[in-house]
Amino acid sequence: MSLDTLTRPWKAFSYGFLDASAKREMRRKILKAIAVPGCQMPYASREVPIARGWGTGGLQATLTLVNPGSVVKVIDQGADDSVNAASIRRFIARVSGAATTLDTVQATIIQSRHRVPEEKLRADQVLVLQVPNPEPLRPVEPNMSVARQMHADADYGRMWLQLYEQIVRSGRVMQGASYPSLVNGRHVMTPSPIPRWDVPKLNMAKHLTILSAGREKRLFAVPPFTRVEPLVFDDVPYRVEDHAGLTCHRSGARGVFMNEIPQEDGTSLHEVSDSQLGVKLLNGEAPGEMWYRDGVFRP
Amino acid sequence: MQTAPHPDAREQRDNASFHALMRALSRPGTVQKLPEPGAVLIAAALLDRECRAYTDDAALEVPLRQTGAALVPLTEADHLFVTLGSAAAVTALGAAEVGSFLYPDGGATVIAPARIGEGAQLTLTGPGIDGRLSLQLGDLHPSLWEARRRLCRYPEGIDLFFIDGARVIGLPRSTAVQEG
Repeated sequence: MSLDTLTRPWKAFSYGFLDASAKREMRRKILKAIAVPGCQMPYASREVPIARGWGTGGLQATLTLVNPGSVVKVIDQGADDSVNAASIRRFIARVSGAATTLDTVQATIIQSRHRVPEEKLRADQVLVLQVPNPEPLRPVEPNMSVARQMHADADYGRMWLQLYEQIVRSGRVMQGASYPSLVNGRHVMTPSPIPRWDVPKLNMAKHLTILSAGREKRLFAVPPFTRVEPLVFDDVPYRVEDHAGLTCHRSGARGVFMNEIPQEDGTSLHEVSDSQLGVKLLNGEAPGEMWYRDGVFRP
Repeated sequence: MQTAPHPDAREQRDNASFHALMRALSRPGTVQKLPEPGAVLIAAALLDRECRAYTDDAALEVPLRQTGAALVPLTEADHLFVTLGSAAAVTALGAAEVGSFLYPDGGATVIAPARIGEGAQLTLTGPGIDGRLSLQLGDLHPSLWEARRRLCRYPEGIDLFFIDGARVIGLPRSTAVQEG
């Protein structure tokens, strides 16, 4: 062994922004997260040139995965063209040389904030979700150490109590986004603030999902063909948002998740939340295979 | 004018190895391709100064040291490069680190050579597998599967990679293995 074999030539810039040791740590943690689906794995969460809470967790996972052959799509709340999504996409392309796309079907890595695309993901695609709060127990147990013990014991009674209280107070489950879900029958995870509409898309899916919270320094994963069951009571079935009957005012699409746009006269219009799907429909292109058909989930 | 950054050979190899390992672990039992044969590649993609490695193969000691990882006894290691062909090796593996219910990520990653597509018939079920999957793995001592069951009290456990040349198969702790 000589110094030559231990040192690397100087470089001004690490490929993919993250340095090699940051990437190796992410690799180790991603593998452990896949081995224990839904279990939060701590990681160091390095600095990246966007502020914590704006997608740093997802960005670090994407930068670890990316190579010049990757095709990257970045979504912010369904839209490809928001400042956050456009900036992250441009940054990834600039530091990795990867191709970018807005089309779900063409992408190999999809980094997303708060939505899962409406078109079905394939086995060769990886979904990276940005997670603001990785701890589903936080509303019922603010102490992180106690919450970890509760995960270790699979002690989730208080999660059901929380849902029960919502039903008693409001007549229905009020949890709109980040619906707590049991993964592989063992760990309850938050699926990140995706709407209830999107949670079934993670259950027994063909693709791998990596969920990464940069500010909170935790990472978890849902491998393909893994059970993701929203917490429900036997007599109160899981319900997705009532968007099946809404029509997009721009593309005429029906049966997909919609954004509500309030109008001056007090009414609302709706438009497709998955912006590139809306563009495809407007251009008369055929979308890929969809998770929902006529507003009904078809696995 | 910006030029597209290009990864050097080492970065390309580590990235390709990681993709193979990630696919192998998220789809247990499926055969994935490493960019080159050998366990050294896995060590290069995963290990550095933060890791403690163990190997029973003298030829691997220098490459493992070159990653910066500390070489430690089997019971303290988080990455094990071992041969699991003998009853004694499998018995020794029984003392490997399995993590805890609080921190399952403390469980060791075990990399072992095996012959893929020959030998004992196994049936896998669990996350990452659509229904069930059958495969044959050779060069492994039959007591391994009972030892693995004892180690993997989910979510505690060890995660296995079997390598055969450039081919790799992953077996995370979440997978149930049935012999036959």
